[in-house]
Amino acid sequence: MQLSHKPINISAVLATATCALLGVTAAQAEENTELWKFDTALMYYGETDRVTAVEGVIAATKDFGDEHIFSGKLTIDGLTGASATGAVAQPTAQTFTRPSGNGNYEIAAGETPLDDTFHDTRLQLNAQWTQPIAQDLRASGGLQFSNEYDYLSFALNGSLAYDLNQKNTTLSLGLSYALDTIKPEGGIPLALATVAFNPNPEQEDSTEFEDNYNSTRATDSDSKNTLDVMLGLTQVINRRLLMQFNYGLSTVDGYTNDPFKYLSVVDEQGLTQSLVYENRPDTRTRHSFYWQTKYAMDFGVADISYRFATDDWKIDSHTIDSRLRINLSDTTYIQPHFRYYQQAAAEFFQPFMQEGETLPEFASADYRLGEMTAYTLGLKYGMELDNGDELSFRLEYYQQSPKNAGFDEPGVLQDMELYPTVKAVIAQVSYRF
Amino acid sequence: MLANNTINAFSIEAKNDHYCGRFTAMASPCELLIETQDHELAQQLTLLAWQESKRIEHKFSRYQKDNLLYQINHAIGSPVVIDDETYRLLSFAQTCYELSDGMFDLSSGILRQAWLFDGSERIPSTQAVNKLLPLIGWSKVRFDHKTIQMPKGMELDLGGIGKEYAVDCVAKLCQLKAPDTSIVVNFGGDIQVTQPRKNQQDWHIGIESLADEKAAIKILKIKNGGLATSGDARRFLIKDGVRYSHILNPKTGYPIMNAPRSVTVAAPHCIQAGLLATLALLHGQQAEAFLQEQNLQFWCYR
Repeated sequence: MQLSHKPINISAVLATATCALLGVTAAQAEENTELWKFDTALMYYGETDRVTAVEGVIAATKDFGDEHIFSGKLTIDGLTGASATGAVAQPTAQTFTRPSGNGNYEIAAGETPLDDTFHDTRLQLNAQWTQPIAQDLRASGGLQFSNEYDYLSFALNGSLAYDLNQKNTTLSLGLSYALDTIKPEGGIPLALATVAFNPNPEQEDSTEFEDNYNSTRATDSDSKNTLDVMLGLTQVINRRLLMQFNYGLSTVDGYTNDPFKYLSVVDEQGLTQSLVYENRPDTRTRHSFYWQTKYAMDFGVADISYRFATDDWKIDSHTIDSRLRINLSDTTYIQPHFRYYQQAAAEFFQPFMQEGETLPEFASADYRLGEMTAYTLGLKYGMELDNGDELSFRLEYYQQSPKNAGFDEPGVLQDMELYPTVKAVIAQVSYRF
Repeated sequence: MLANNTINAFSIEAKNDHYCGRFTAMASPCELLIETQDHELAQQLTLLAWQESKRIEHKFSRYQKDNLLYQINHAIGSPVVIDDETYRLLSFAQTCYELSDGMFDLSSGILRQAWLFDGSERIPSTQAVNKLLPLIGWSKVRFDHKTIQMPKGMELDLGGIGKEYAVDCVAKLCQLKAPDTSIVVNFGGDIQVTQPRKNQQDWHIGIESLADEKAAIKILKIKNGGLATSGDARRFLIKDGVRYSHILNPKTGYPIMNAPRSVTVAAPHCIQAGLLATLALLHGQQAEAFLQEQNLQFWCYR
């Protein structure tokens, strides 16, 4: 018998004949180890009056067989808009010099100062390889690179997962290391230095301002190291119930300040006298405990998780996240999402400084380090298309409500909104093929 | 209630994380591995599998005289009424005949009258083989949805696809009965898994090795789909140092030379895997090249 020279695919003809014989529809039982799988997504994130971000993601996975899997991801973010500087609102208009020293901007009376020059494009690349290295033992290693105009991050990770108890239990150990370098325009400001103000930004040779500005600069760039260790336990309880417990230890060492954040120095009447740059401790150690439960029901999947995190900045946080996937048909589902987050303020958080007060070692008015609660409400709708591709839409509402962690507000500050709520809408379209 | 005669027809046994059901059908040890802790379900599935296997065996066995195949083989040129299942099997055989350029032929079983593959060196005479050749030829078989008709003296033998077909039928019934349970149907190494196990674990199945007599049992790992093996481990003749495999060329009446001793193929369905393994053996020396061309997972032993 000659090898067929006809362009006839014996397997395919046989597959069709088999389906006719057994009265089944053509199954995709054949494992597609050959093909790449792609996930693409376009996400919009818009805060009211603040930051708007558009993010595009393309992720690719290829199974080389025998659980040798490569995955890669490319993410591009475009960020524009305004971000809170940390300065307090005032009963009169305020003028600020831009962080780079080039030009001024004005904030109306009663408004929270936002720096509207916030725009950046971020490019991130991830690559990950996973494979078994012994019976019941899998190893994974990956690299990540992320670049923005003034920020560069490089990270690597490795993990081991060990299956036991007939693969009903998986133990995992992960390590990752990241090196982040920041190089803000104008350089790194000195901790707690008074922010230079340029009263005449149009005047080109304002040497007095330049001298002032330069005297607040330390170096051009700075960096931090982050080391994470993660221990995990995944347990299949029964055919419907799966639980996961993780413990994570994260240590950061290096420059942790945000060079664009200030604190207002106010007098007894609450009127701003000057601004100083923030300063945070140069180390941070964080412990996190995570518990997740997935329960498969006849009509869908419930996924609930809780995380408690605590760190030596005294930021304790609780997160409850829940998703309920409801299958509407064999090919469509909806998934409501609810997330609640609560955190205590960092011990060095203060919404402003008071004139004459002893300068603290560390201080920040960044609302993200203050006491707050936040919640997310969302809905996702997904459908499998006739060709097996998957299309999904997600719409979410996010609200962050900073709170006063017990700070007295002198004079005019009592009439100002020092803890404005941030509201955002998230919309995403994903396509998997 | 089970009838008395079925009580000992099969057995079930609770294993660590599954149940194992066993019985014998089609001269093969048959085994069901059922990922469940439910004794009742394991019992029901094994009974179902046993009944279905016996149904197919009874209907298509050439060793029985009161069945449809016997009627077909002894109609002496008259048309015989067939049912839909038989029509589908014949259509499948037709496709295989066309795909193999006439090498896969359900009417070639008659060559067994000349060839007895018992490990001896009794090679039949040329006359004995030539006498049978006119009785072989699928193209002489006429069939439609209702009837089949073939010349007097010709015989059909479904042995080449019957066991694999039974495996697929049993797997299909089991999946209908227990749609969320992973079940392995293993009839003497012809295997179908109904769906992956929870947690994507492999099923570990001990099968009799056809190639390596030293390692009698080989442990095979399978997640999903079908698997079938064709070979001549125990069915061959050796004369003057030449090994004659039991895979016969229906055109010459003689064994295919230089065929691998065993071919195992993985495919979505057991019968598909079985056919590909058989077609590979029919390619003799070029078996591996044929399988590579099909872009499937396979194991060849020479």
